[in-house]
Order: sequence, then structure tokens, then C-alpha cells
Amino acid sequence: MAALLLPVAEVSTAQLAAAPPSLAAAGRRRAAWLLALAGLVAVGFVLDIALGPVRIPLAAVVKILLGRAADNPAWAFIVREIRLPKALTALAVGSGLAVSGLQMQTLFRNPLAGPSVLGLTAGAGLGVAAVMLAGGSGAAGGLAIRALGVGGSWGLVLAATAGAALVMASVLALSARVRDNVVILIVGLMIASVTSAIVGLWQYFSAPEQIQEYLLWTFGSLGGVVGPHLAVLAAVVAVGLGLAFASAKPLNTLLLGENYARSMGLAVGRARTLIILSTSLLAGAITAFCGPIGFVGIAVPHLTRGLLRTADHRVLLPGACLVGAALTLGCDCLAQLPGSQTALPLSIVTALLGAPVVLWVVLRRNNIRSSFS
Amino acid sequence: MALLLAGPQLGWAQAPAATAAPKPAAGAPRGRTTVQYAKGFTISYVAGGKLVTILSPFEQKTTATRYLLVPRGAARPAGYADAHVIETPLRSLVALSSMHVALADFLGAADLVVGLGSFKYASAVPVRQRIAAGKIYEVGQGKELNNEQLVAQHPDLVMATGWPGESLARFQTLEAAGVPVMINSEWVETTPLARAEWVKVLAALLNKEDLVNQKFGQVARSYHRLAALGHHATQRPKVVVGLPFKDVWYVPDADSYLTQFLRDAGCTYAWDQTRAPSGSLALSFETVAPVALAADYWLQTGTAMAKADIVAQDARYAAFAPFKTGQVYNNNRRTNAQGSNDYWESGAVRPDLVLSDLIKILHPELLPAWQLYYYQWLK
Repeated sequence: MAALLLPVAEVSTAQLAAAPPSLAAAGRRRAAWLLALAGLVAVGFVLDIALGPVRIPLAAVVKILLGRAADNPAWAFIVREIRLPKALTALAVGSGLAVSGLQMQTLFRNPLAGPSVLGLTAGAGLGVAAVMLAGGSGAAGGLAIRALGVGGSWGLVLAATAGAALVMASVLALSARVRDNVVILIVGLMIASVTSAIVGLWQYFSAPEQIQEYLLWTFGSLGGVVGPHLAVLAAVVAVGLGLAFASAKPLNTLLLGENYARSMGLAVGRARTLIILSTSLLAGAITAFCGPIGFVGIAVPHLTRGLLRTADHRVLLPGACLVGAALTLGCDCLAQLPGSQTALPLSIVTALLGAPVVLWVVLRRNNIRSSFS
Repeated sequence: MALLLAGPQLGWAQAPAATAAPKPAAGAPRGRTTVQYAKGFTISYVAGGKLVTILSPFEQKTTATRYLLVPRGAARPAGYADAHVIETPLRSLVALSSMHVALADFLGAADLVVGLGSFKYASAVPVRQRIAAGKIYEVGQGKELNNEQLVAQHPDLVMATGWPGESLARFQTLEAAGVPVMINSEWVETTPLARAEWVKVLAALLNKEDLVNQKFGQVARSYHRLAALGHHATQRPKVVVGLPFKDVWYVPDADSYLTQFLRDAGCTYAWDQTRAPSGSLALSFETVAPVALAADYWLQTGTAMAKADIVAQDARYAAFAPFKTGQVYNNNRRTNAQGSNDYWESGAVRPDLVLSDLIKILHPELLPAWQLYYYQWLK
């Protein structure tokens, strides 16, 4: 559908069609990589369900997943109600954030871009903080964050979505008037700064024990997404990914620069709207349900380019999906700290594990700029 | 930590306490008191005044802070150069935590409260009346104390809560202006009676030792009688406490006063022997879920007013056995219009009432006539 909206120059396809035999070999290598990555995701998925603070034999896990009666009802609850939804959420979060980051980096032709850059994550945080505001007494009391208490889950999601949507609407409105992507990038960063400052102000006026729930939210977590929440998250991520895959060709063209893309016949404004819409859906929904999960969005695209050695988004997009899902599943396994009863915040694990990996990739191919020109 | 703030209040007179006739506590002469349960402070009577020592005001290893209590206008006794001087009896008090409001109200001294950290966290009726009459000012909570206002109002004492990682240096502006600050670290205590006994610190500041011996003695006797009931209960129902937020479920550890409440109420608590530095354990949902699935009772479910509030947060909670059997009780029956919960205020000095509630919930046959006071059954 989106492809119909976007007249796209066939330059990259034409180039590929005329590809010499060595390029065909590279294609086969990439296919092998994608296959291997898919295997890695499958392994990570099984591991994420099999590992956890409570030791459950793998045979029992498989039995429970196959729907057979478990020896221990608590195990069945843990596998079906805690681990399976969490692993499915990890799939959605990992692929969604990675793709959204890849789109941002290409759109802005900036290796530092990520889903949080447009201010979406900060907007979602502002929404969540806003519903936690107390109507208390005194000038300071009115600016304090309080524990949201029960009934929080859908409220939290709606608030975060509203916050992200507000930022997205402002960015979209601006992008219609401003033609320069760098300006939009700066606008996103400034919106993020302002929203962070507002939340910071509210935190300043709040008692430490009141902001605990908000702080927990900002750490990011896969654990709260179950039942209808998971269904909604999966549906939104599927739509977002669909839009992203439909924008593969415009993304390839945008790599050549906006002016060149325009001269190739690409409706740059519409392509930009489609990409921002897709990335907002992905990053906004994921942040709404799971809190801000940093790093996956910025790290995975670099990792994927390093592994697949291509700038073609028809390969990069599925690649980023797989790498993102595998990385998130792996980080969640570590966050559960097998053998410990405590869970670590996911966003901390993704950064601790992801940053060295990205450094390694970037240092190995020190002309990362070439990916964007 | 959330345990320290939040909550409404009761006067002693209206409290449904069933206690023996007041008697002075054994071993304390008239006008003096002794510390029996608390580990966090000592009171000694010295020539020319009283010496109150707060042993671990900020964290376990901090050196003690000493306060010399001298009669108003009297000369400072020699030999206590390091001690902070406070003139007694206090005429005005700024309370930074609702716990401190409870201490004042317990001693019938609510009219001394001239300042509060936040108006929201006060339940005691006399204090709420004073707020409504505009007789109390607000000085801010957390780290943002309104020093200028405190210096201008110059109360006789600011009672603050000590937090790990801080020091008295936080209050140096007030000290320099001659406003005494006392750190009340009741949170270091590991039993309900020890926590409640901090009321003796305020009693010494008010020269109300006789009153505190009588009233705290009543509470302690009542508590011991109830605990004996709980310890001899034949059934030991399994209990799960608290409400998780996404992946994390905070439960009290072995040294928490809440765990002591559970022991004294006669139940089976899974983390009865597990210790953590902070007094609570941050467990993953998965670790607590097997316990919750098989528990008989579910206590202290956040701010939930009904079972529907709990499933609204996460539908999985409906699978827990206490939820299915309708044995869910929350400690928020006495939540006032401002949203503050008296459990965290008067409950701190009335552990006997809290224990009565817990025994009534877990062993209804032992206290047939008792009406739940802080706790409520969630429909």
C-alpha cells in the first residue's frame, strides 16, 4: 500500500540487476547470515523461556509449552503467564526498536540517530509523569509526582502513547514546513530536552518514595506486558514493521541524499512522513508498554550493517529485526540473572552489553560515514 | 521507605484499646523513662539535664549524635561539648514525617506542631484542625527544605528522618541559625515495639516521661498479650505481602518490623529468614509467584480499594489463591480525603492495633469481637 503512495526511483534495483557474479556471492552470504540470525533468535527465545530465577527442567518447560499438564502448577504459571509473554514482548521490542533506529539513522543520515532522538521516548515519559502528578496542597505539592497505584497499566500505556503522539504531531507539523532533516533532528533533541526538564522539575518537587514507581518505569521492563496488552503491542509493532518494510526502497534512495533522491523522482516529503509515522508507531508503542529501553535502537543498526556489510534496506531491515530480537532476548536472559532471585533493569543490561559490541563493530570498520553516503 | 510517609490518625481516647489499668513502667522512677526495645537511641539522666543519643542516625556505621536536653533558661552542664543543646520542654515542633506527627499526637501534644513537611501527610485530627485553621506552615519534603521559613519561624525543634548516605551537614544552615534539628531514625528498628518506642524521645523533650511510661506501657503489654495469642495459634496460614510493579516485587526481609508483625500474628512467611541490607528484598515476579499462587492470605496490596483494582493492574494476579478465595486484605481502611493513610502514621505508635488486625485476619476465632482498624477486606 505504502509503495503505491511513493513513486520510487528504481536505481538500486537496476544496479542490483546488473550485479556482477561477486555481488551474487555476497547475496548468498547475506542470505546465510539472515538464516543464521533467525536460528539465533529461535535459540534465544527458547533460552529466555527456559532460564529464570526459578529452576524448571527443560523437559518440563517443553511439556508446558506443548500444552500438556505440568507436574507443578506453579511451573505452568511461570512458563505460560510470566516467561512466554516476556519472551514474545522481547521479540516485539527488539525488532521494533532496531527497525525504528535504522529508519532514523538513514532518514537523518546520521549514525547517532535513534528512536529516542525525535523526542518520542521523552514525550512518553512526560505523559507517564503527567498522570502521576498529585493534586496535592501547596505550590510544591501540585508539581509532585505520586505513586500511580492500581489501575495503572492501561492508564500508563495511554499516557505514554499520548505523550509520544504529542511529540510526534509537533515533529510532523514541523517537518511539513522545514525541509532540512538536520533541523528536524535538532527540533527532536530540543523537544526531548524540554520534556526531560519538565519531568525533572516534577521529580524535584516530589518525595523520594513517591517517584519510585516512575523511576521503575524509566528503567524499562518487559515483564508487565501480558494478555490484551501483548496483543495490542504485537499488532502495533506489526503495522509499524509493515510500514517500515514498505519504505525500504525510499530509504535506499534517501541514502544518496535528499536532493539527489528528489531528482530521482522520490516524493521526499511523503517518504519522510511515512518513515516518521512508522518509527513513531514502533518507538511510541514500545515505550508506552515497556518504558524507555535505551540503546537497542541506536546499537542494532550498526551491528547489523557490520554483520551484513550492505547498505541495502531490503536486507538491512529484516537483518535489524533479527539482530534486535536476538540481542533483546539475550539481554533479558542476563537480566534474569540465573541463580539469583533478583531481576536487573533491562535498559541497563542492554547498554552494558550493547555498548562494547557497538564499539567493537565501529572500531573494526572505522569509515562508518561511508554507510550514509 | 514508603512506609515512613503517607497516611490519617486517631487520638488515644478514641482508640479501641483493651488494656489493663495504667501503671508506671517498672524500673523507672517518676519523671524518668527507660528504653526497653529500641536499639537506635538511649536516654540517660545527667546532672542538669538529659542526654539523648541517637546511635545510628543515618546508617549503621555512623557515629552517634548526642543531644543535651536542658531546662529552658538553665545553664548548659559542663562536659558535653559535642552534644547539640535543646531547651525543654519544647513549645513548638516541626515534623518532617507523618511518623513524627503520630509521636506528638500520642503524647497529646499535637498543638505543639507548628510546621509540617507536607500538609498531605497528616491524619491526626487535632493536626488537621490546626492545618485548617492556618496555624501550621509547610516547609517542603525530601531534600528541598524551606530553610528561610524555618529560620524566620525559629521553631524549638525540627524533627527529621535520617537517610543512609546523608549526614547532619544537610541541616547546617538551620544549626547555624540556632534551630535545633533532631534525627529520628525509627526505620533502623527491627520490631514494631522498638519502632514505637521512639515516642520516648519526644516524651523526654516534652518532660512527659510519666505519661509515656503509662501509655507506651499499655501498648507494650497489650502487644505482648496479642503476640502470645498469635504464637499459640494452631494454624499457620501462608501469607504473601505487597504488590509487584512489572518485574519487581518488594517484600519485607527477616529484619523488617513487618516480618516481626507476621511472626507475632502466627503465620508462615516465605522470607522469614532472608536478610537484605535495605530491609526489603527486590525479588523478580517469578520468584514470588509460586508463593502467591499457594498462599492463604494476601496482605498490603498497595493502594487497592477493591479486588478489581488489583486485576486492573495485571490480570495475572487473579490466578493467586488468596485472590480466588477472597482472602485479600489491604492496610488502607483509614485513608483520608487527602489520600494519606493513617496506618503509616498512628500505626507506627499503635503496633497493638496493627497486630490485633493481623490476628483477626489470620485467626478470626482468636479475636471474635475485634473490628478491623487499619486493614480492610477487599471485595
